[in-house]
Amino acid sequence: MNNKNPDKQKILIVDDSEMNRAILSEMLGSEYEILEAENGAQAIEILQKYSIEISLILLDIVMPVMDGYEVLKIMNSKRWIKDIPIIMISAESSPSSIDRSYELGITDFISRPFDASIVRRRVVNTLLLYAKQKRLTDMVADQMYEKEKTSNLMITILSHIVEFRNGESGMHVLHVQAFTEILLKRLMQITDKYKLSSADISLITNASALHDIGKISIPDEILNKPGRLTDEEFAIMKTHSSVGAAMIDEMPFYKDEPLVKVAHDICRWHHERYDGRGYPDGLKGDEIPISAQIVALADVYDALTSERVYKKAYSHDVAMNMILNGECGTFNPLLMQCLKDSAASIQNELNSNSVLHHSEKEIKNIADEILRYDELSSSQQTLHMLETERIKNDFFYSVSTEVLFEYTVLPSTLTLNEYGAQKLGLETFTLNPSEDENVLSLITSDDLKELSRLIHETTPENPVLQYDCTLSAKDGTKKTHIICRSIWSMDETPKYVGVIGKSVEM
Amino acid sequence: MTLKECYAKIGGDYEDASARLMTDNIVAKFAIKFLDDTSYDTLIKSLDSGDYDEAFRAAHTIKGICQNLSFTALFNSVNPLTEELRVGAPSSQDLITKVTEDYERTISAIKEFQSAI
Repeated sequence: MNNKNPDKQKILIVDDSEMNRAILSEMLGSEYEILEAENGAQAIEILQKYSIEISLILLDIVMPVMDGYEVLKIMNSKRWIKDIPIIMISAESSPSSIDRSYELGITDFISRPFDASIVRRRVVNTLLLYAKQKRLTDMVADQMYEKEKTSNLMITILSHIVEFRNGESGMHVLHVQAFTEILLKRLMQITDKYKLSSADISLITNASALHDIGKISIPDEILNKPGRLTDEEFAIMKTHSSVGAAMIDEMPFYKDEPLVKVAHDICRWHHERYDGRGYPDGLKGDEIPISAQIVALADVYDALTSERVYKKAYSHDVAMNMILNGECGTFNPLLMQCLKDSAASIQNELNSNSVLHHSEKEIKNIADEILRYDELSSSQQTLHMLETERIKNDFFYSVSTEVLFEYTVLPSTLTLNEYGAQKLGLETFTLNPSEDENVLSLITSDDLKELSRLIHETTPENPVLQYDCTLSAKDGTKKTHIICRSIWSMDETPKYVGVIGKSVEM
Repeated sequence: MTLKECYAKIGGDYEDASARLMTDNIVAKFAIKFLDDTSYDTLIKSLDSGDYDEAFRAAHTIKGICQNLSFTALFNSVNPLTEELRVGAPSSQDLITKVTEDYERTISAIKEFQSAI
């Protein structure tokens, strides 16, 4: 029954009656790997372990410890429900319970007594439907990924053409892009004034590569003149921003594309200054789109730190001082703040060769890259990696002779490795540990509260915490050192989602 | 004793069960497995101790098994008890007595069937 063939789809049967589980499992036959849980809490434990590796769940409603509705609620909050179809099987056949289950996101409802062929049919249909949907999603994701890769590449190639004519190395565009991204990310952290989303950041970063395309219209003898420009020549040079914007404006297609609009703004206004003393339009303050303000700053920093025919490269520190002292024109005070805050990462970017590698990889090895990604679709790759990580994790957990634990906030659960559970006299899996008798007899509520308080004080940047306390394990009280690390969500504003760690006797 | 005769003694619907569960073998296997199911003991114990939530879940489980195996008579007596337990204490001892009678009749018929094969 518990055949561990990795090619078989995993079906989780959740029912408090062993007989019911056995009947269902018999009905489904040997084509699937059957996992069983006798209540909702066990189901969640299995879901935490396998997540979307589970292809389908057969779920009962009335169960001890945690019922089916509760399982559905948690699956909703964890967003598992989008990826794992659920067929509810229950003797609760009142319209209200069926309605409630559908509202909580189940795919199908089978009431008892069920018919073997119907159960089998519906399981197969649901699996097929989801598999098809998943394949489509994967295909779209892969295509989007390829498309975005290709268009980033095109933008980079285009901006290189401009720089090539300029006699520059091509590093300028990549640097400006990198600085733009760093500054934008910081700006998003310190203010929501500009309503920037992650999508906007990547859009602006991509478009920033186009800021100087107007230079294609500047005659060679001005563009590459090895000395200072005359006033007349400088006037011509200055047209590059409005010419660049006009080139984009006159494009017959894609006028409404966000990238095109952002690129237009950046081209036209990346030489405007916050005090209104820039060109071509003399815009002031936030009349200048934030995209252009940021690129302007990135452009100035890179110009200062690069060698030109008429000047040597300034160091990072000198360039920073010149900008912050207002020697290069006035900038938005918020951006000055971003520049100061990000000084270290900007300097890193300036000195590192990663940009070079990046450009080499992107441009010289296009073919290799694409071939490599074609071998395995990116989503399959991710799933594969996840599975490998889980196997690794399970293995180390099981062989370790240390007390290892994992706590998740939602649902509140404590998971221990075998050794740890034995050592502490707890179950390997405890629901609501802060209310669990065994847990509370192990650690005093004061220590628990203090530990919880300290954990809540950690941050994604500073997640590690050490704590000493006394644990009353079954073989006596032990002075114990706990070292743990808080885990944060991948959201834009990371949320605290749990803790992993170990405890050692002192 | 055949499976059909066993079902007749239980007051179950043999045709329905064997049609739904596909083969006689499966019906027989799970009918015998019902002997090991502890839900009835849980039901009686939790009724004695006044834990009606637990009693409800146990009755509900028996009801589900009866539906799966078409133990019609036991289903008919456990179903009203389940509904009473859903809201609290049972109104009278009669329902429980009826469940016990039907349960014991079911168990003894299955045991008889088991010893005959």
